Amino acid sequence: MPQAFALTVSGMRKRFGALEVLKGVSLQAREGDVISILGSSGSGKSTMLRCINLLETPDEGVVTVAGETIKMRKRGERAEPADRRQVDRIRSELGMVFQSFNLWSHLTILENLIEAPVHVQKRPKAECVAEARALLEKVGIADKWAHYPAHLSGGQQQRAAIARALAMRPKVMLFDEPTSALDPELVGEVLRVMRALAEEGRTMLVVTHEMSFARDVSSRVVFLHKGLVEAEGPPAELFGDPKSERFRQFIAKDKR
Amino acid sequence: MDVGFLSDTFIKLIGALPVTLEVWALSVALGAIVAAGVTFMRVSGSRPLELFARAYIFVFRGTPLLVQLFIFYYGLSSFPAVRHSLFWPFLRDAFSCAVLSLALCTAAYQSEIFRGALASVPPGQVEAARACGMSGFRLFRRVILPIALRQALPSYATEVISMTKATALVSLVTLWDVLSVALKIRNDTLVTYAPLLVAGAIYFVLNYFIARVFVFIEYRLSPHLRPRPS
Amino acid sequence: MNWTVALGFGERGWGLALLEGALMTLLVSIAGLAIGAVFGSLVAWAKLSGARFAGAVGEAYAALFRGLPELLVIYFVYFGSSALLTGAGHALGFEGFLGVPPFAAGALAVGVISGAYQAEVFRGAFQAISRGELEAARAVGMGRGLMFRRIIAPQVLRFAIPGLGNLWQVALKDSSLISVTGLVELMRVSQVAAGSTREPFVFYVAGGILYLALTSVSDRVFEFAEARATRGMKRPGN
Repeated sequence: MPQAFALTVSGMRKRFGALEVLKGVSLQAREGDVISILGSSGSGKSTMLRCINLLETPDEGVVTVAGETIKMRKRGERAEPADRRQVDRIRSELGMVFQSFNLWSHLTILENLIEAPVHVQKRPKAECVAEARALLEKVGIADKWAHYPAHLSGGQQQRAAIARALAMRPKVMLFDEPTSALDPELVGEVLRVMRALAEEGRTMLVVTHEMSFARDVSSRVVFLHKGLVEAEGPPAELFGDPKSERFRQFIAKDKR
Repeated sequence: MDVGFLSDTFIKLIGALPVTLEVWALSVALGAIVAAGVTFMRVSGSRPLELFARAYIFVFRGTPLLVQLFIFYYGLSSFPAVRHSLFWPFLRDAFSCAVLSLALCTAAYQSEIFRGALASVPPGQVEAARACGMSGFRLFRRVILPIALRQALPSYATEVISMTKATALVSLVTLWDVLSVALKIRNDTLVTYAPLLVAGAIYFVLNYFIARVFVFIEYRLSPHLRPRPS
Repeated sequence: MNWTVALGFGERGWGLALLEGALMTLLVSIAGLAIGAVFGSLVAWAKLSGARFAGAVGEAYAALFRGLPELLVIYFVYFGSSALLTGAGHALGFEGFLGVPPFAAGALAVGVISGAYQAEVFRGAFQAISRGELEAARAVGMGRGLMFRRIIAPQVLRFAIPGLGNLWQVALKDSSLISVTGLVELMRVSQVAAGSTREPFVFYVAGGILYLALTSVSDRVFEFAEARATRGMKRPGN
């Protein structure tokens, strides 16, 4: 049964100690949406992404993935997930790509790709290996399957990390500043892969500083400022005729 | 140099090697098990467990092994309660007593090694595993443990070699290990250097061998740290 | 015997003897560490100098004393040096057995072993000194002796403090093995008292507690020394 939305977030709040980083953020992603999340540092964009798959625990807010709502409960002051197994299951339906790649250093690239499908999703190994090799082909590093992450360049590692996320057959992909840790000349190869994924119709949430991606590839742009959604809309509209003064200043600072 | 005497000494000392090796192997293994428990307590997040673990490590690392050994061997037997307990047949045996004492001592050092290794696992890689839906024991076994193990190997090798040297102390609690036999030969024949030199050579070769084994293990476990294959 | 009396400072109490033993432990450990510093810096210098033969000798020394049980080294140094001395005595016409004082033999044994590990500490500390500082010293015309005294040695000591703190603790604990030579340090006192009063548990635990006191105080001292020595230094994370 097709859901209305692939992912929804409503009323998300998060504080770290005395600092309230998210003050009530809501978001809806339909299937095939490619949403770029922009904002200056401290705006809460990475925190929001990490709250979606509960790498951080939101204090308030409801997250629904493919129609399934993550159950939360209150323990004293703090909120926590009510069902750990649900969290694990939902995480396995979300693919996350990190700024610092986070490939497992003791495993080869191929082993990195099949680790979660085999051990978390319990799929047959042969099937996972075949799919992994196809994915490596797709992101352009098919010949590196037997190498270790330390032997790859930053761009290759990030492409491998994207392939690892894809190997989980995710419903929604989350990208946390995927190109911020890369040397400028390596950024392009990763953006190309992400663009190809977008054109395939994948549902993607991308926290990024890359304006070109936000403008040219995403179907929607969300601009966060100090923990709230300041502006939102299709890129043509937002970039062409920015109604928010803060957003105007934000893109002016970043002439790329 | 009397070759006959030397080879005779050598044979006698090699005859005592099994005792040294048994004490060593059992105390390292038992120590590892206890250390795992202590480390678990130390990182468990439970304050009382953590305090106990820290106190244990403090005491066993802050006192000489010889003191600990004598407390177990001479000290415990002075209590009637101990003598009448069901552990007594075990504790009155010098071998078990020595192994127990050595094991508890190395457990304190091994526990610190384990703790350091766990702390050095890159948090990003643990996060990536969580983000894939791994948790609990599976997360520990597939990601944390393999990485921590590799980090721990060099320090662990040093500790294991320390333990072979520590076994020499059992000569002071009536066990006939390599050192005791060497000292007996010296006492009986009044030859000063040779027995100790031969004993020294045996220990040295043993430690060299153990070090090589660890180098080999490290080599096999770290293809990811070597330069890329061409 | 009541343990409070046994440990006390009265006529039949061993309290004073234990404290004197602890003092002896301290002294022999300091001597051992100092001897180790001499050996250790020589070996570090040999390895850093690049001279092949000296480096190899240093390497061999370190490998040897890291691979031998401490107790064996102590016996060897004690019996061996006594045998040497006796032999020398006989050559000069003395009769009978000449024993090397246990303090000297014990400190030497502990020192020789400690030196093998101190060599690595010094070598690492030297290599941690920024090459730029040495260049600057040369550029202002400092001679090698002056540079060593004013720039190299102080910095090596600073970087070496954590490693040396560790090795000091090791020396303290190794010193307990010197008891086999009869030196009246803490372990030996505990042993004698235990035998004499037939209260092994009381006295070995008391000895243990005194050792614990020595190691804890040493910890604090080294922490303090490290904090003072690294004032104003850049540390990772700062």
